[in-house]
Amino acid sequence: MQRRKFLLHAGALAGTAALGQMGVFASRAATASDYKALVCLFLYGGNDSNNMVVPVDSAGYANYASVRADLALPQAQLLPLQESGGVLRYGFHPALPGLQGLWTSGNLAVVANVGTLVQPLTQAQYLSNSTQKPATLFSHIDQQHEWQSSISTTSSNTGWGGRLSDQFNSLNANSSVPPMISTGGNNLFVTAAATQALVIPVSGSFGLNGFSSSGADAARRSALVSLLGVDRDADLTSAAQDVMSGALSSSAILNPILTSSTATVAQYFTGLTTNFALQLLAIAKVIEAQSELGAQRQVFLATLGSFDTHTDELNQQQALFAQLDPALSAFNAAMAAIGAGSSVTTFTLSDFSRTFSPNTGGGSDHAWGSHHLVMGGAVHGGQIYGTMPTLTPAGPDDAGTEGRWIPTIAVDQYAATLAAWFGADASTLATVLPNLAAFSPSTLNFV
Amino acid sequence: MRGFSIRVYAGTAVLLLAMAGCGGGGSGGGSGGASIPATPPPPTPSPPTVADTSRFLDQATFGVTAGDVGLVQVIGFQAYLAQQLAATPSQYSGFSYTPHTAPATCQYHPATPTDASSLCSRDQYSLFQVQRQFFTHALSDADQLRQRVAFALSQIFVVSGVEIYEAYGMADYQNMLLNDAFVNFRSLLQDVTLSPVMGHYLNMADNDKTNAALGTSPNENYGREVLQLFSIGLYQLNPDGSQMLDSTGAPIPTYDQNVIEGFSSVFTGWTFPPLAGAASQWTNPINYDGMMVAFDSHHEPGTKLLLNGLTLPAGQTSAQDLQMALDDIFNHPNVGPFIGKQLIQHLVTSNPSPAYIARVSAVFADSGSGVRGDMGAVVQAILTDPEARGDAPATANFGRLREPALFITAMLRSLGGQSDGVLPRNAISAMGQPIFTPQTVFNFYPPSFVLPGTETLAPEFGIENAATALARANFVNTVIMQGGAKADPTVTGSTGTSIDLTALSAITYPDGLIAQLNQTLMHGSLSSAASAVILAAVNAQSATDPLAAARTASYLMLSSAQYQVER
Repeated sequence: MQRRKFLLHAGALAGTAALGQMGVFASRAATASDYKALVCLFLYGGNDSNNMVVPVDSAGYANYASVRADLALPQAQLLPLQESGGVLRYGFHPALPGLQGLWTSGNLAVVANVGTLVQPLTQAQYLSNSTQKPATLFSHIDQQHEWQSSISTTSSNTGWGGRLSDQFNSLNANSSVPPMISTGGNNLFVTAAATQALVIPVSGSFGLNGFSSSGADAARRSALVSLLGVDRDADLTSAAQDVMSGALSSSAILNPILTSSTATVAQYFTGLTTNFALQLLAIAKVIEAQSELGAQRQVFLATLGSFDTHTDELNQQQALFAQLDPALSAFNAAMAAIGAGSSVTTFTLSDFSRTFSPNTGGGSDHAWGSHHLVMGGAVHGGQIYGTMPTLTPAGPDDAGTEGRWIPTIAVDQYAATLAAWFGADASTLATVLPNLAAFSPSTLNFV
Repeated sequence: MRGFSIRVYAGTAVLLLAMAGCGGGGSGGGSGGASIPATPPPPTPSPPTVADTSRFLDQATFGVTAGDVGLVQVIGFQAYLAQQLAATPSQYSGFSYTPHTAPATCQYHPATPTDASSLCSRDQYSLFQVQRQFFTHALSDADQLRQRVAFALSQIFVVSGVEIYEAYGMADYQNMLLNDAFVNFRSLLQDVTLSPVMGHYLNMADNDKTNAALGTSPNENYGREVLQLFSIGLYQLNPDGSQMLDSTGAPIPTYDQNVIEGFSSVFTGWTFPPLAGAASQWTNPINYDGMMVAFDSHHEPGTKLLLNGLTLPAGQTSAQDLQMALDDIFNHPNVGPFIGKQLIQHLVTSNPSPAYIARVSAVFADSGSGVRGDMGAVVQAILTDPEARGDAPATANFGRLREPALFITAMLRSLGGQSDGVLPRNAISAMGQPIFTPQTVFNFYPPSFVLPGTETLAPEFGIENAATALARANFVNTVIMQGGAKADPTVTGSTGTSIDLTALSAITYPDGLIAQLNQTLMHGSLSSAASAVILAAVNAQSATDPLAAARTASYLMLSSAQYQVER
């Protein structure tokens, strides 16, 4: 059994050249028995956070409504977000009632105007080109990659989730599955120095079909495995072989967990049938099985698409939030139910926010700084962290004339706060987030 | 010696497979509708080898068939390409206009998925039939290269079933790409730009001029993506595809936000073509038949900053601005390397050398007869390049992971299988490539995807992971081990999906069976180590099951990384 476990783990890490680097461990403060997981929700396409967190005070709402015109949400429908001391400045989009409840119970925080930066950037510096800007602003795939890598000067082949995970390999030494798992396909965020996340399906069985216990089938299966070990001289071939090696070992362990009908977490997802809800259910099942799997630090990724609302924004965003809200509420309740509420922190990333000024087609275009959600029992919720931008086109926070907010919190700081909670100390943060030193403070205390 | 037996059996079994393929989906030269040019090109000095011919056909078609190998060996690469360039385009057929909102008689009812309403919904308001036809055309039609290039173009000039769910609309768009596969790039770019399908997908349709009272400005979606994805990309390129660098060593952006706003202003004032018999107005209802029409009163009137230092004068019509803007894009020096490299990646190899890209860029710049943008010439240059040709891959990282669609079609074509497209269409989603339905305009995978821990480009690995890799192997299991799929009674003319392994099972000598599959599927590239592994499994199969050996060897080869990475 011990040997099998070792081989499985080796398979999960097949092709890695980083085994030697595993001696560098960040988790000095960690105890052997603790468990933590980060769950990243990537909102593909650029979520218009201007309509996720909306001013509710009279003057603020009037300004919002006058600029947003046809994109303005009705004031009466906004879900108020009471802050400490009875302050009421903002409300959630009406399709986020579950998240409003989590805000009220202290399990959800908003981080304001986060974005890709190379260093702190004033409007004057931006307009005069005197300070380095992130590469390829306003481009989907590039801004996605910068959010996923926390590197905005150049393209990176690794993500900050991956680099963080690499630092905690010692805590996962007994894990029978890879430390990063994605339900949203391959993604730079969960790409490490030499490995990437295990991608699991959210429905159906996870495994190789068509093998009985007959000797003939055993011989065929044995040959399939043997073929993964020969002809490894070409990068493309060996990469495909490694993917299949990992698939065979991990699916054997995870399929019973993913298809279990007795998981405690499942009841919280009753009635939720969207793909996004199924992704979070699969992640919840894996977390529920963490003691069986042996991992102590896991990084998960789920994704939700179609936020690129150049047209028909009100309907599209409403439909997307209507998927997001119940799934996140269910996930949070499920984590609490299995006693993992404070061990799991869930957070959003997205390409960018969208122009505050609408376009002529009932939508908005690619912008920059955006508000993000952080959820979980360890979160210092019910608060907005950072500074909300002045919602004025061509105003003090605009990179142009259409309401593209220059971020006042860097992705690096957002990431560092989550990584520090995960257990990274200062030197580890500097390794995982090589540009963090450009920003102060390095972490933000929202979790 | 193993090598000896391979040669003997290979020759014999080619004939067997060629015969087996006659009733199947073989598109071999014999069945092709292509007319041979009146003046045949000069003969190839010496006939290409079987290995090189097979590699060529893996790059130029949806899968190597024995018939095509025989044809190309007789007429040579150039004559085959000439035939293919002239071949009549296959077309998606049987579709006609439907309103954007499905009528009550065309709704899907989960409880009764095969009632008339549900089937109407499936056939007209989903891509089911288009996706099915994608496979039937790819398996059987003669215009293989045209389809191959059109499929590559569909992954560059992306529209998606996520938003284009009307079957007739997607059929119209894909027919356009089939017709335009070898035209001049400038024509292709214009057809894509004025397609109402693209117009709906990237919002050029109904894109109105600035409304100062409302504080609204033109939608930037098409203006941005036409530059970033369809023509020049983000950074200035050298002809060999490498980035130009400034004096500080930094790459040089091709445009900034002002240029995006310039192009976004150009692409205003267009709406859907009017419905048959209806008056045209701003705006027309969604209609994908025909080309978009202009309403100059809704066109942004001011000057527009474009590329190459060009500023369009104020006051031009929608059409005047459009022509000048597309000329501006077309003449940008990035187009050749930007589009050329991606076509190489789709057809031949994920990691073309800079010299290979430069040779293709040069043909894009000048076809040899002074024409810029001749895509037929570009495709010929890609497939006849010395880096693409030869009996073996030019470099260690040469080749590409067969994307799911080509993985499916190649196995069916090479083994003489047949399919109505239903099973492939259904099964491919789990492999990460639902036909014509990527999640975003950035396609299923980016051309820049890098294998973790390496610098090796591997676009198709963007969708290769544990879940999709198992789905591939399980598809092989379904088709090879389980007999495929039966006919679907809800699909007219359905034949199911199957591969008849009888011919292979006639090769009773295991070494010969493996040698035959090696030639049929892998250009003879199977290593002796891999061959020995497969042989051991074949030898463990029941001698009383006549198909067991053929199934086992086929399953193992098709599910192997050695096959799935086409080199």
